Amino acid sequence: MNALRPAVIAVASGKGGTGKTTMAVHLALASARTRATLLVDLDVEAPDVLGYFPMVEPLEAPSSVSVAVPRLVGAFCTGCGLCANSCRFGAIIAIGGVVTIDEKVCKGCGRCVAVCPAGALVEGRVEVGAMVESRVGALSLLEGRMAVGDIRSTAVIDAAKRRAAELGGAAHIRDCPPGISCPATHAMEGADFVILVAEPTRFSAHDLFGAMRYVRDRGLAAGILINKYGFGSVDIEELADREGLPVVGRVAFERDRAGAGAAGRLWESNGDFMRQMEDLVTTLIDMGNSSRGGFR
Amino acid sequence: MIVTVASGKGGAGKTSIAAALVAALAPRCVGADCDVDAANGAIALGARLVEGEASDYYAGPGFRIDQAVCMACAACVEACRFDAIEAEAGAFDPGPGAILGPRGYSIVVELCERCGACLDVCPNGAIYSYEKKAGELFVSSTRYGIPLVHAELFPGEDTSGKLVRAVRERAEALAQDGATLIVDAPPGIGCPVIASLSGSDLVVVVVEASLSGVRDAGRLLELIASMRRRSIGILNKTGLNADMDKAARACLAASGVAIGGEILFDPSLRSAEEGGKAWNEVEGEAGERVRAALASVLRSIEELTKPKSARDSGKELI
Repeated sequence: MNALRPAVIAVASGKGGTGKTTMAVHLALASARTRATLLVDLDVEAPDVLGYFPMVEPLEAPSSVSVAVPRLVGAFCTGCGLCANSCRFGAIIAIGGVVTIDEKVCKGCGRCVAVCPAGALVEGRVEVGAMVESRVGALSLLEGRMAVGDIRSTAVIDAAKRRAAELGGAAHIRDCPPGISCPATHAMEGADFVILVAEPTRFSAHDLFGAMRYVRDRGLAAGILINKYGFGSVDIEELADREGLPVVGRVAFERDRAGAGAAGRLWESNGDFMRQMEDLVTTLIDMGNSSRGGFR
Repeated sequence: MIVTVASGKGGAGKTSIAAALVAALAPRCVGADCDVDAANGAIALGARLVEGEASDYYAGPGFRIDQAVCMACAACVEACRFDAIEAEAGAFDPGPGAILGPRGYSIVVELCERCGACLDVCPNGAIYSYEKKAGELFVSSTRYGIPLVHAELFPGEDTSGKLVRAVRERAEALAQDGATLIVDAPPGIGCPVIASLSGSDLVVVVVEASLSGVRDAGRLLELIASMRRRSIGILNKTGLNADMDKAARACLAASGVAIGGEILFDPSLRSAEEGGKAWNEVEGEAGERVRAALASVLRSIEELTKPKSARDSGKELI
């Protein structure tokens, strides 16, 4: 058996607004009824999980997420410009022997510090976001939040993933950012199963197609959860079938539910829906246990 | 004149409102779909590719490790700050008496930031850089007769902000003779959003009347204020919950942003869109609300395009 580690389910989508956060929240609540569950908000540019739990207080003060950025010790700098040449992010300019560092676009890779022959660069930390932990009954919550005006979302996502791994438990549900570029792929990376939430509209179908291609190329186990079933013109089942991905659930469109969702009200009182969520988590975990020697 | 439609939250109605703006302004506008991760502008505008108007997009070099040369010393693993280098299965046998380690290492493209720190430290020269096509940029003609610049980022590719800049540049070159450029921004507040907002004369902030919509719009409004962009708000999906409608208005008011209109949550808008119609082409109250909101935006655009002397006090905004 593998060492104990949680089953990680990532809830993603190509298109925004298909219901990722709603589904992630309810999957996690249902899962927490029978197993130690952590809900991780990795949509760090627009984190909304905690909005569903307005009464919940953070367990402690938010912890800072920072990256190491170079700072110039002017007295040692020879103006050789090797640091600027090494930087792939345009964060360092050297003109006429004068080195200028833009901390806001630095990704903190440390390459410049390593190449400086004069030891004129030392690293300091700059805050790019924060993490908040809280708990609702048996469900633990971890939110990653990028600072407004920053661009280093992946640094916050990676930090939240590391923290989640430390926290352990039996199941992790990740609420991922929309899209298929670096923030989304960082959030999906390392998951045992990816649930792609789609709605039956032309926009969603187009974006789902990109997301399906991604999970397939990356070799991630994945399935489609169709939300707002009956609310558009596209046959998502057919699309999923063509790409060889299973449909793992359908949630019908209801105006009342849209209203509750708008207000961030939970659907916990809906027994059928909660059972559907619980069964989905259980099925995915069982599937993982049998197919690859277990998450646990 | 550059008008950018943004929302913070995904699915708030950016693309639909941008398409309606294009429909209202045509033929005096150009469209730019900067949501390159989830590019739906072409669907919304019934766009068809113009002959010869597709170009390849390169995101900049990435790195690979040549397994035949890698000696499994792990210097690159040490140097990588992004945990993007993983061990290859199997064992490398460096000779008698040595401890068996992994067979070699490889770079996880999805996690690699392409900084090149690994390249500098590899003692064997096993790491090399490569260029790979990361997407495509298109100019299409729309059913409104105006061009749409859009792009497709290949799944898993990095640096979408750079592709957004490429889309913007191409579209700005097309928007000549006083044509308005309508930019559809991606969700979030990160690098591709900043690239979409920069240089905008007016930002149309779409606030979905929901808890998440209001929260995300709040963060976007903070970003817009820090970038000193002028903006106007449109509420979308109103009428589902009165408290959320109120919260959406309050969030715009708190940032001193005027409300240009309020669009109802109405499945008929969705149906029209699925049938290839813009929202402002819908009959009845739902369409009426859209037209009223667009009229406010058009008034703001008109105000901003007046000769400088007539609005000299408005130049430095907020």
